[in-house]
Amino acid sequence: MAAGGKGDHAVGLIKEIDVLERIKAMQQALARTPHLVRLGRLFSETVLLQVDEAEYYLHFDKGELVAIEPGPSRKIAWCFAIRTDAAALRAYWTARPTPGFHDLFGLVKIDRARIDGDILCLVKNLRFFKEFLSLGREEVPA
Amino acid sequence: MSIEPITGRYATVEIEGRAQRIYFEEAGSGRPVLCLHTAGADTRQWRHLMNDAAVTRDHRLIAFDMPWHGKSLPPQGFEREEYLLTTETYIATVLAVCEALGLERPILAGCSMGGRIALQLAALHPERFAGFIAIEASDFQPAWYDIDWFDRPDAHGGQMGAALVSANISPYAPDAERWNTLWMFMASGPGVFRGDLSFYTRDDSLIGRLARIDTSQTPVHLLVGAYDLTCTPEDAERTAAAIHGATCTVMDELGHFPMSEHPEGFRPFFIDALARMTAGKEVAA
Repeated sequence: MAAGGKGDHAVGLIKEIDVLERIKAMQQALARTPHLVRLGRLFSETVLLQVDEAEYYLHFDKGELVAIEPGPSRKIAWCFAIRTDAAALRAYWTARPTPGFHDLFGLVKIDRARIDGDILCLVKNLRFFKEFLSLGREEVPA
Repeated sequence: MSIEPITGRYATVEIEGRAQRIYFEEAGSGRPVLCLHTAGADTRQWRHLMNDAAVTRDHRLIAFDMPWHGKSLPPQGFEREEYLLTTETYIATVLAVCEALGLERPILAGCSMGGRIALQLAALHPERFAGFIAIEASDFQPAWYDIDWFDRPDAHGGQMGAALVSANISPYAPDAERWNTLWMFMASGPGVFRGDLSFYTRDDSLIGRLARIDTSQTPVHLLVGAYDLTCTPEDAERTAAAIHGATCTVMDELGHFPMSEHPEGFRPFFIDALARMTAGKEVAA
């Protein structure tokens, strides 16, 4: 996982994004998506999203994202962490990402993300978490 | 109202000394094409091609659910067994179905683990087939996940399996077909996806057999989606390069389940592959 890895040519033209603002928008989108909240009804965990050096602690409670706590912090316990870089995340959030950037595990496979911690916690809630993460994705143009 | 031309029946065949009740579907007439589904799924993956008149006007497509999958029951006594598919059992199953259905040298089209076994059959039993279309198929794929995730008493293996394999579906896939594709994984029997993956991710015996495939007698064409994380274009191209005379096409906007996730996008590639299944006849690349 490092800037300059596979696929940078695919993401170079994508405009800068404010990750925190994007997560807040995803929080609101989640609240408007009842089927997703239902899928996450047993998910009450804290997830660390690390984008380059920036840390965001996402506190979920019964499928709702109840708080977004910017880091850094050495005190906040988390269940699992997704560590990636801003260019990769921008590519992931495009409407139709290029191969590898189209999925969380794709980012891992092309060495643009790493998952740390209790991966089984993620896998048990994989559909919920992947659909939450894709709430930041841009719409496919009509 | 519409009624599809696909018909389904059952055949009980003996495989490695055990009776297996196999569900199979067919549509069309002409050259027989036996279609093999992926791990954790069933014949429904092939329904679009079986309903495609451009394919079925001169091809008889037959697809069957592997034992433990779809509408094929597991064998008697399954409740005390750990299902683990092997290369030997898979080969015996395909050959037994060919024999039971009286298929004379069908074209064999398989996807993912079905593509893997198609290449095994190309190496070991080429005389039984007219050609091989290996979709999302490669010599060997070690797991980039823990296959035990998909068979746990404390979680729904089908839900987890579907969420995992969604990583292999192209963003170009229509939503309805993306979810129809995932439904099969969600509905798969407990431990079945894991048992298929045991074959797919642990048996590397094909690597040493690729060189013996004779494409002058039985053509081999590989198809691979650019969005396939499990069998990447690099994996398929490496495999094709190890088979003298094999051809390979990368499908830019498709993933690991092309005939199911994006049937419209896949059909021209499949029709082209069928046209290549004529031994000794030059086909434009």
